[in-house]
This record gives sequence, structure tokens and C-alpha cells, in this order.
Amino acid sequence: MDVIQIVLLAIATFIFAIDQFSLTELIYRPIIACPIIGAILGDLNTGLVVGGTYELMMVGNMPVGGAQPPNAVLGGIVAMIFAVKSGFTVEESLGASVIFAVFGQYVVTLTFSLTSVLMARADKAAENADPKGIAVVNYMAMAFLAALFTVLAVIAYVGGSAMSAPLQQFSETFSWFMGGLGAAGGMMRYVGFAILLKIMLANDMWGIYLAGFAAAALLGNVSATSGATLLLVAFIGAAIALYDYNMNVKMKNLEGNGGMSDGI
Amino acid sequence: MASNATTYKDLTPAQPLDKKTLNTMVWKSMMLQASFNYERMQAGGWLWGILPGLEKIHTNKEDLSASMAHNLEFFNTHPFLVTFVMGVVLSLEQEKADINTIRAVRVAAMGPLGGIGDALFWFTLVPVTAGITANMSISGSLAGPILYFVITFGVQMALRYFLMYWSYSLGTQAITLLTKNAKEFTHAASMLGVFVVGALTCNYGATTLGMMIPNGTTIDATGAEVANYIDVQGLLNGILPALIPLGFTMMCYFLIKKKGWTPIKCIVLLLVIGIVGCIFGIWSGDYTALVPVPWHA
Repeated sequence: MDVIQIVLLAIATFIFAIDQFSLTELIYRPIIACPIIGAILGDLNTGLVVGGTYELMMVGNMPVGGAQPPNAVLGGIVAMIFAVKSGFTVEESLGASVIFAVFGQYVVTLTFSLTSVLMARADKAAENADPKGIAVVNYMAMAFLAALFTVLAVIAYVGGSAMSAPLQQFSETFSWFMGGLGAAGGMMRYVGFAILLKIMLANDMWGIYLAGFAAAALLGNVSATSGATLLLVAFIGAAIALYDYNMNVKMKNLEGNGGMSDGI
Repeated sequence: MASNATTYKDLTPAQPLDKKTLNTMVWKSMMLQASFNYERMQAGGWLWGILPGLEKIHTNKEDLSASMAHNLEFFNTHPFLVTFVMGVVLSLEQEKADINTIRAVRVAAMGPLGGIGDALFWFTLVPVTAGITANMSISGSLAGPILYFVITFGVQMALRYFLMYWSYSLGTQAITLLTKNAKEFTHAASMLGVFVVGALTCNYGATTLGMMIPNGTTIDATGAEVANYIDVQGLLNGILPALIPLGFTMMCYFLIKKKGWTPIKCIVLLLVIGIVGCIFGIWSGDYTALVPVPWHA
């Protein structure tokens, strides 16, 4: 066990954990992250092979529309550790790393839930017109996520594949809790919608709100249009808004002319 | 809490933003998802990104506070295309447009970009680049990862710069037309905004029931016994698709608007509903219910 390796691994994991959502959103990808981890562990070539293989696996598995695959960052890092340190083949390493990828996903779910609570602190900063407060909230969220990822990577390095069984056990015992956290996480956006609607939903807007809902229900459930649902919704919405704008401007101009512009 | 002001105190349009500030914001736009969360998604990073501009625009502390408050509301778009929304919103902020107008334009702009960005980036550029470079990598060449990074990062940054400058100048030009009929524009923009939020409720609303109630067995054509289930979510879809997301959104709206609940209180309530639901196997998902129930496998 090498202290320098652990420190470098921890630093790299910390950065990749942040990069998966911020920064470049690219260096966390296995094709880049695995060679870096490989270089740290002293086997660059394995890093290139694992990275290339994992990247191809992931191409059909993108972080699209808020859906999260079992975490690629931890999956790649842990697969590398097993491949280099335990001498597993590429396939064996990727297989053994799956449970860590699942835990990476738990950490993401936990962070995204807790950061919802942190938003109250951001509101306070906004109230006081304090830009530094906003920066602090962002730093706190990133540090929390990255620190937990680092802990998991170090556990994999120190404990090796022997850690898989207890982690598996834990995830089976507490799956109801993580499932519940995930379900609650999926519900929290309704609070976000409600805050927007609190101001936007004037009394004459209810029909428009439900019309938007209906448009998305229609377009989103047809395979030919579902990918572009929100763009198509915006087209319809823009037509309604333009009509409303033109009508109201016309009315205003009529009133301005004292109703004498009938021109007959 | 979101401020209830609808207009800024200082209505004198601010000086146009200089190149340096715009460039700073292009780079800060990379931190859009730094404080991503389930409630407001990218709101924290969004505000962080446009703050350099907002601080230049709103020299009055009260106005800065009002602007920060409304920019902390729910926000979600594609990370690589966000500078397009930034440019438009900043041009409106600079003109001290009505806050309702800025909110409505922001909401209307962020939604469609998500789908466009996914299609351009995750479905096209990344798979194509990966297809070329992954095999170089597997055969042991360092050029694989380097090329991958250069291509994807280069395209991403070029897009961020271009969209920021383009949409900022677009917004500044359009605004002179709109100030003449500001009230009518605000109403129309709000309609578009509400329409999009309605669509988001359905499109982003992911909560479904995972209850499959056993309902006896039948014998199929080959003589094998087949178990039957009543799919409760299927029944709900027959009444109204995305009924649960709509119901929860209305519940939160009612609690916040009529009962004066804070967002935090709503979040805690949903946390309880989510976890208790999974104890009894009510919500869908890949988990084992704590209480053994017949309807959740």
C-alpha cells in the first residue's frame, strides 16, 4: 500500500466527482479518467484499455434528461483499481466495480436531496444581496459530493474486492431507504414548479397551464416527437403568446384612437 | 423566499456589459450544475454564473437582491447551451425589464434547449467521437483520450462563446421593439412561461406507482399457468397520464401560496412521502419494500 498513490487517487477522484456535473463534464469520462488513474497506479496501458472499453459500453448510456446510469466515475476508477492491483481481466474488473457504481449513485441521490435543503441558505444570501453566499453554497455542494466519492474510492483501494460483499449486503438491506430517497428526489422538482407558479399562475392562466400539460402529454408519448417534446411545446406556446401580444397591442391602439379607427 | 417585487427600483437601463464580464460568465457557465439538486436543479449554479453581470447591472442593493431571488427559482437546461439563456436574460436585466417578463422568458428559453443539446451532444458528437477514439485507446495509444478531449471540449467551448455573444446582442436589439408595448409583452411572455411550466410538469414529472396487485391466474394456449396483475399506474394513466406529478405540483402550489409554507417544509413532507411510500412498496423503482407487501416484487 502506497501513501502517495492513495493521495493522488483521492485528488483525482475528487476532481472527477466534480467534473461529472460541472467543469468540462468530459474528463470524468472513462476514456480520459481511466488512463489518468492508470498512470497513478503505475499501469497506463491497462488504463487505456479499460477506458476505451468502458467508454464504448457507455456510449449507449448517456446522462440524458436527468436519468442517471449507475455512476460511471466510481465504476471506472474502481475497475482500474481491481485491474491493476488485483490483476483482474478487463471484464472481471468492470463486473466487480458495479456495486461501487451503485454506491456512487447513492451518493449522488443523497447529495442532490441534501442540496435541496441547502437552497434555503442560497435564498438567504439572495435576500442579503450577498454574492459570496451563493459561491459558498456551490462550494459546499461540490465538496460534499466529491468528499464522499473520494471515501468510496479509497475504500476500494484499501479493501479491494473483499469490500464488494458487505457493500452488496448493505445495499440489499437498505434498498427501501435508498429507493425512498430516490422517489422523494424525483418529487422535489414539484416544489420547484410550485415556486415558479406561485408568481406566474395568475387567475387567467390556469387554462394555459393545463394546455401546456396536455401538449407535453401528447407529444411526449409519441415516439416520433418525444425527443423534441419541449421544443414543439415552445412552438405552440410561442404561437399562443404572439397571438395574445398582437391582439392586445391592437386593442390598445384602438382605445388610444378613441375607437374611431374603424375605417369603414 | 422569493421576493414579491415585480419591478426594479432603479429603472434606468444599465451600461452594456463589457467583453471581459461576458467572457468571465462564459467560463463560469461551466459551473452550472455545481449545486444541482432535486428541488431547483441548476438554479444555484445558474445564479452563480450570471452574478458577475448582475453585480454590474444592479448597483442598487435592493435590486440586486430582487434579481438574485428570482434567478434562484427552478432552472434546468442543457449545460453546454446555457449561455444562450444567459445572454437573453442579461439583456433583459440590463434594460430593467419587468421581473415577470424576465422570469417568463427564462423559463420559455431553458426548456427546449435541453432536448436540442442532448440530441446534438450526447446522441451525436460524443458517440461519434468515442467510436473513433476508443479503439485507438484500446490499442494502447494515448492519442485516443487526448483527441477525445480536444474535439468534445473544443466544440463545447466554441458553442458557449458563440451563444453568449449571439443571444446577448439578439436580446439587446429585440428589446427596443418590446419596450413600446411592455405591458402586452409581459402578459404574452407569461403565457408562454406558464405553458412551458405546464409541459415541464408532465415531461419532467417522473413519479409513478409500482403497485402490481396479484389477480389470480389464467391458463394460456399452451396450458401453462400465467399470473395476472392489476397495474395500478396503468389504471391511473387511463384517467390522466402524469396525474401524480400534476397532483403533487398542485399540492405544493397550494401549500406555498395559500398556506404560506416554505419550500423547505414542502421538501421535508415529500421526503416523508417518498420514504414511507417505499417502506410499503408504493412507488415504482428497483428496491425491496421494508414491509413485505403482495403488490411489490
